[in-house]
Amino acid sequence: MRCFIGIDLGSTTTKAVVMDENLQILGRGITNSRSNYDTAAAVSKQEALIDTRLTLFRRALSNVPEVSGKVDDILSDLERNFRHVQFLEQLEDLQNTCIANIKGPRFAGREKVVIEALEGTFSRLRDSSAAQYAPGVKRKSDFFRDLAGAEFMSHGEAVCKEAGLGFDLILNVYDKSIIEVENRPPAGDMEGKFVRALEKGTMTGSSILAPVQSALAIPLEETYVVGTGYGRVRLPFPKEHIRSEILCHGLGAHMMYPDTRTVLDIGGQDTKGIQVDPVGIVENFQMNDRCAAGCGRYLGYIADEMNMGLHELGPLAMKSNKQVRINSTCTVFAGAELRDRLALGEKREDILAGLHRAIILRAMSILSRAGGVKDQFTFTGGVAKNEAAVRELRKLIKENYGDVTINIDPDSIYTGALGGATFAVRAVVN
Amino acid sequence: MSELITTGVDIGSGCIKTVVFKVNGDKVEWLGKETARIRNRDPFQLTNEAYDHMLKTAGVDRKDVAYVASTGDAENLSFATGHFYSMTTHGRGGLYLNPEARAVLDIGALNGRAIRMDGVGKVLSYKMTSQCASGSGQFLENIARYLGIAQDEIGSLSMKADDPEKVSSICAVLAETDVINMVSRGISASNILKGIHVSMAVRLAKLLKSIGAVDGIVQVTGGLALDTGLVAALNEAAEQEKVNLKAVSHPDSIYAGAIGAALWGAFRHEKLARLGQAA
Repeated sequence: MRCFIGIDLGSTTTKAVVMDENLQILGRGITNSRSNYDTAAAVSKQEALIDTRLTLFRRALSNVPEVSGKVDDILSDLERNFRHVQFLEQLEDLQNTCIANIKGPRFAGREKVVIEALEGTFSRLRDSSAAQYAPGVKRKSDFFRDLAGAEFMSHGEAVCKEAGLGFDLILNVYDKSIIEVENRPPAGDMEGKFVRALEKGTMTGSSILAPVQSALAIPLEETYVVGTGYGRVRLPFPKEHIRSEILCHGLGAHMMYPDTRTVLDIGGQDTKGIQVDPVGIVENFQMNDRCAAGCGRYLGYIADEMNMGLHELGPLAMKSNKQVRINSTCTVFAGAELRDRLALGEKREDILAGLHRAIILRAMSILSRAGGVKDQFTFTGGVAKNEAAVRELRKLIKENYGDVTINIDPDSIYTGALGGATFAVRAVVN
Repeated sequence: MSELITTGVDIGSGCIKTVVFKVNGDKVEWLGKETARIRNRDPFQLTNEAYDHMLKTAGVDRKDVAYVASTGDAENLSFATGHFYSMTTHGRGGLYLNPEARAVLDIGALNGRAIRMDGVGKVLSYKMTSQCASGSGQFLENIARYLGIAQDEIGSLSMKADDPEKVSSICAVLAETDVINMVSRGISASNILKGIHVSMAVRLAKLLKSIGAVDGIVQVTGGLALDTGLVAALNEAAEQEKVNLKAVSHPDSIYAGAIGAALWGAFRHEKLARLGQAA
């Protein structure tokens, strides 16, 4: 079948959306872009195609009477097991890379001890991974780096303590290796991993194996790809396949909510205020200058400081009923202020609530420079998934602009890629 | 004059430093020292552990300490006798490490401080960097981590640069992307680090100039004092800024704040004793 793909190469995450010729979304994929952009583009596209396969499975399984009512469970089992297999493969890659990186004068005479500590750490990581992928467990992040990193820190420190070894040595090896591992797209064939995931599944394979295999057999043809975002100039695409991120975000927001007039996009490292006309064309926009305060990375940094996953910040901040005022603008200073306040005995949720307010206040100033907020207002980007940020935004929009319809789509992190995919369809089907 | 034991505790945003001294008039004996990286732990609990460990190693009992002087972020330390501001403690600590020094440049995780003092450690003028972490110690540490380089390797790598990459001010948190772009453009780690050292050094040299520190020896203190590449870049920047400054470091530079606190603590204790109201 013909697939139209939009890839949004953000500074922090890379998103891909697959559409069919009727502008129906088939799949979405996301990865982090710390590594090189070619890899990020390839991985996000692969993820979106995997998601497309899941859509096709869903369609195939909807015709199997034996599993009616259980399709969602089967698919989430399938995906979970698939992710687990993928995680373990990358973990193995990371372990081998770490061990290969133990060289040079820093390790002279200590290689054996360091290798043993690493092996101990990774074996604990493997043991604890099953729990991360158990049914119903919310994972802290979508990315290998975050999932492996957080666990590595806690297990690594413990292992080193037992071995009487400085954690810095191991941390240094990890830092070197994680970059290399991220730069490699996950190895192996997608189909094979799916079958392995199926075999791991708690469902009996008999009645679903055939429809799944027939869905796997449908060839997915990449008809047209459009790239956008911060890293777009580095994509291996010809010029006519590249669109500016402002245009893509404007169009993407319009596709989700045709009555959108103002868009606020809080991405990883830039925050944009965009005004669009009734057909989704950008009329005016404003962006922040290169500073992490007021963008998604601000929250990412805070999450690292607190040893939490990015997805855990919002829910914790929601528990607050006494917001702490954060005085620092700079992200790093806010991190230090956070530590000071924790040491003074302030509650984590109250400090977090203050941090969420700080990021939204910065966004509000960008919106006012972009010409204010007109009805309807659409909030996109990764931060739109954060309920505490959304709560603050609703409050401040109401205070400053009165009652405005506020649109937030749970998949709004894909807005730029959705705009890209729409451009891709328009380029071919007209 | 009697012999007394004083301690200094300096809590920074990245690291805690603690020292213990025996002071008898002008005779000063350094008995012990301890540092610990905070790394997301409770700084006060960590301070307690490090402090006890240091006293044990030095063979001193907690009850024999006449004055516990805190500085930096240690103002709320439960067992401190009194608190001293960072400017005064770094000035005095710098002077202890190098009696020739008439200025101190403290480069910590978040802030840079320039301090000018006289021969007895009295602060004549001082200035701090702004409320943005670009060009701070934390910033450099982040960049090293993105490059997969350990902190003690930064200096020697920077010294090997043949074509330093020009960097203007970069946000400490967004630096990661800039570094990735530099790496993907094929710029070596040496040239990236040196470029960053140069931009930091120029800013710090201007800070020194702005408080009137324009000649003589500058004692570099704080966590980044051991970064030989940064100290070398500072001396190059001083030449560029046409000031006759010589930046020097000391193996114990990181303890400057804690040392200054302990010495001022002894001074204050003596003074209070003389006033007949022993602390």
